Amino acid sequence: MKTIIEPFRIKVVEPIRMTTRDEREDILQRADFNLFRIHADDVLIDLLTDSGTGAMSSLQWAGVMKGDESYAGARSWYALEESVRELTGFEHILPTHQGRASERILFELVGGPGLVVPNNNHFDTTRANIEHSGATAVDLVIGEGRDPRSRHPFKGNVDVAALERLIDERGRDAIPLVMITVTNNSGGGQPVSLENIRAVRAVCDRHRLPLFLDACRFAENAWFIKKREPGQSSRPVRDIVREMFGLCDGATISAKKDGLVNMGGLLLLRDPDLVRRADELLILTEGFLTYGGLSGRDLEAMAQGFREVVDEDYLHYRIRSTEYLGERLLRAGVQIVEPPGGHAIYIDAMAFAPHIPRERFPGQALAVALYRHAGIRACEIGSVMFGTGGNTPPMELVRLAIPRRVYTQSHIDYVIEAIEQVFAARDSLRGLEIVEEPPSLRHFTARFRETG
Amino acid sequence: MPSHRSWAEPWKVKMVEHLRMTTREERERVVAEAGFNTFLLPSQYVYIDLLTDSGTSAMSDRQWAGLLQGDEAYAGSMNFYHLENAVRTYYGYKHLIPTHQGRGAEHILSQLCIKDGQVVPGNMYFTTTKVHQELAGGRFADVIIDEAHDPNSEHPFKGNVDLAKLERLIRERGAKNIAYLSLETNVNMAGGQPCSMENIKATCALCHTHGISVYLDATRAVENAYFIRQREPGYANRSLAEILREICDQTDGATMSAKKDALVNIGGFLAVNDPELAERARNMVVIYEGLHTYGGLAGRDMEAMAIGIEESVHLDHMHARIGQVEYLGEQLMDAGVPIVRPIGGHGVFLDAASFLPHIPREQFPSQALAAALYVESGVRAMERGAVSAGRDHDTGKNIFPKLELVRLTIPRRVYTQAHMDVTAESVIALYQQREKIIGLTFTHEPEYLRFFQARFKPVQGDRVLLD
Repeated sequence: MKTIIEPFRIKVVEPIRMTTRDEREDILQRADFNLFRIHADDVLIDLLTDSGTGAMSSLQWAGVMKGDESYAGARSWYALEESVRELTGFEHILPTHQGRASERILFELVGGPGLVVPNNNHFDTTRANIEHSGATAVDLVIGEGRDPRSRHPFKGNVDVAALERLIDERGRDAIPLVMITVTNNSGGGQPVSLENIRAVRAVCDRHRLPLFLDACRFAENAWFIKKREPGQSSRPVRDIVREMFGLCDGATISAKKDGLVNMGGLLLLRDPDLVRRADELLILTEGFLTYGGLSGRDLEAMAQGFREVVDEDYLHYRIRSTEYLGERLLRAGVQIVEPPGGHAIYIDAMAFAPHIPRERFPGQALAVALYRHAGIRACEIGSVMFGTGGNTPPMELVRLAIPRRVYTQSHIDYVIEAIEQVFAARDSLRGLEIVEEPPSLRHFTARFRETG
Repeated sequence: MPSHRSWAEPWKVKMVEHLRMTTREERERVVAEAGFNTFLLPSQYVYIDLLTDSGTSAMSDRQWAGLLQGDEAYAGSMNFYHLENAVRTYYGYKHLIPTHQGRGAEHILSQLCIKDGQVVPGNMYFTTTKVHQELAGGRFADVIIDEAHDPNSEHPFKGNVDLAKLERLIRERGAKNIAYLSLETNVNMAGGQPCSMENIKATCALCHTHGISVYLDATRAVENAYFIRQREPGYANRSLAEILREICDQTDGATMSAKKDALVNIGGFLAVNDPELAERARNMVVIYEGLHTYGGLAGRDMEAMAIGIEESVHLDHMHARIGQVEYLGEQLMDAGVPIVRPIGGHGVFLDAASFLPHIPREQFPSQALAAALYVESGVRAMERGAVSAGRDHDTGKNIFPKLELVRLTIPRRVYTQAHMDVTAESVIALYQQREKIIGLTFTHEPEYLRFFQARFKPVQGDRVLLD
């Protein structure tokens, strides 16, 4: 069937504010052409990120009301612990206020100068936490994962031979752990196959290395496995999720994605010694072991979110609606990273506006044009975000991240129509230059000016 | 509300949460499983939870409505602007950096403002604050007045800085070796004791003369403002909002756990006036907490905080708040139970050393008293004595602070007068059989902040409270 029916109906709505083109022109000027600087209520369709922007269910809101705010030993904590144990099989679960805190605790414990941490592609906060510890973050995604036109079904896979080479060259003692990000966010939300995770596990076993998942989008990844991997189509997603977690020694999770919540994270560990040290850091910087810097209601909402996200009707709707946006853009001639990923569509901005040179930030120019034309907020992932310190990122992309359960098909149709119109007038897109930028993470606060 | 001896609450109850009663046998089993540490008790076995006033408050219907208005946009959420406006209005600082809770703000301030080997003077230590200062390379130096360490002194402002001690420290160490002064309002470890406005002004003036910045721990600054209004000449007709602003205006910035005064279950912030420091803090908050327009908080939690800040400065609210704490404290004093005087803002602090003279300090009388109170009544309190103080950073020996306390901390707007009566009766009943309480010894002792996870056993037998 062509129609993508949502496995839910709407219980609470949030009005969005229409703006005129003149108003948006003015807002852009005041924000110095940086979309992070725009107030959220000046945005019509907000596709900046899928992180923490999802709509919770009525059962999650009921959990919010049930939240036990006791500082220690809250019922809501035991509810979360039980939900996550059942989902992942992990015994030791540490709650954190969000994913980057889980990463920071992990790499404060295992990182350090001279060490190397391989991954398919490190996400920006993961990389920052690894490098902050003095270690080096290495990306080992397969070749197809770097080619935006390749239709490989598992473009997030780790290049196992390259991993073996890295271990040979650097020695196992220089590698505190091997990581796999599911789905591979920086690579376009592309999945990793179960076969690939098993192969990496085998390499880790041979060299006695721990394997960790960056599991923010574990359920979306499991759905791709079920749909695309030979022999997996009749397995329940819950089983596949259980096997993915069963293959690793630990995981960091931002629950703001597949936990279906607005705030929260987890660190899962097996090694009891690591657990003990992580507990001390957790208390110091996040909060006591049974709340980790979250309110009781957030723990409760997370417990329920992790149950809902493995519902197969939900995952079908989720992945299919992202794919729908991607298919329609491709049909209109807009180049995107193929195949469509799980949580977002990535537009190839260099193909979209070939007349804008890379030093004039074609991705930023496209993101600005989408806001100016239609009030849509997207996120540049190219030279503004990664082009500092002499680096040239492999691609100039604009990410349209889809919040979970928030926008309807008619919102997405509006986005498609707007992009088609901007595409038709693409020759009028103008490049930008940076007027002012902070020393690090400039994409959040830099100021721009339009050029020629 | 009119004047009054009554402290009747300026609200009625809108939503309730069920409590569970337990039997003494059940509690004896549970406390042993928890290693005689009240932090390790599951909350479902607790009848009246006075462990902490942090994050345990009941929110108002307006705050709950604010939760539903959460704008969960990653950048530029309107709730951030509401919060920024509330902080500027009531605390007066120019730059707001939200954090997921108070320790997130302490972490950032310590990392940015302490250089290796510097001293950080303050009016008594607080557990997490001190560890953050030490991890940043600093050393805490106590400059609180001596009366603060005496549970029987009736000094009205036992949170005051001893200016002579501070001046001596500056002279001995040199101003450039002092990172900043950390000024806590309603000093927690001293028993919720306030600073006077006169002392705050003199302290800040002294620091500023030497080019030393002052950062406020504003966690309970509104409760402090209430005491200034009650006790300090010239303030009886001023609003709490005015007094709060006057406190903040003396200082250069503040760390805040909004889980106390601001009536929310999660949230905190760092607020400063220096634009350059604010910029550095924003660059750091994005790594540890979240982008500077959410700082690791959901949009809805920023909204609840903005509303809570506004509610916290209402005089009627604070009158009922402190009135309830005093009501409990007075019942205990009337029965002869030794407590820290004057009664503090956020709780009643039992003087465990006087309560249990038969238990030596090495057997942690506060820990034993908290465990025994739970066994007796299902009331959960918190140890604030030698276990909390930890070991000396350099010698590794147990620190035995002058105050060996058990804190009965009152969550805001949660418990009724009848709950306070039950608590008072339980403590008094325990006091009458105090010689049946047995001292404790460690079976597990963590390295940092040991009080959270430590486990104990009775020094003899297997029960902390005999029949």
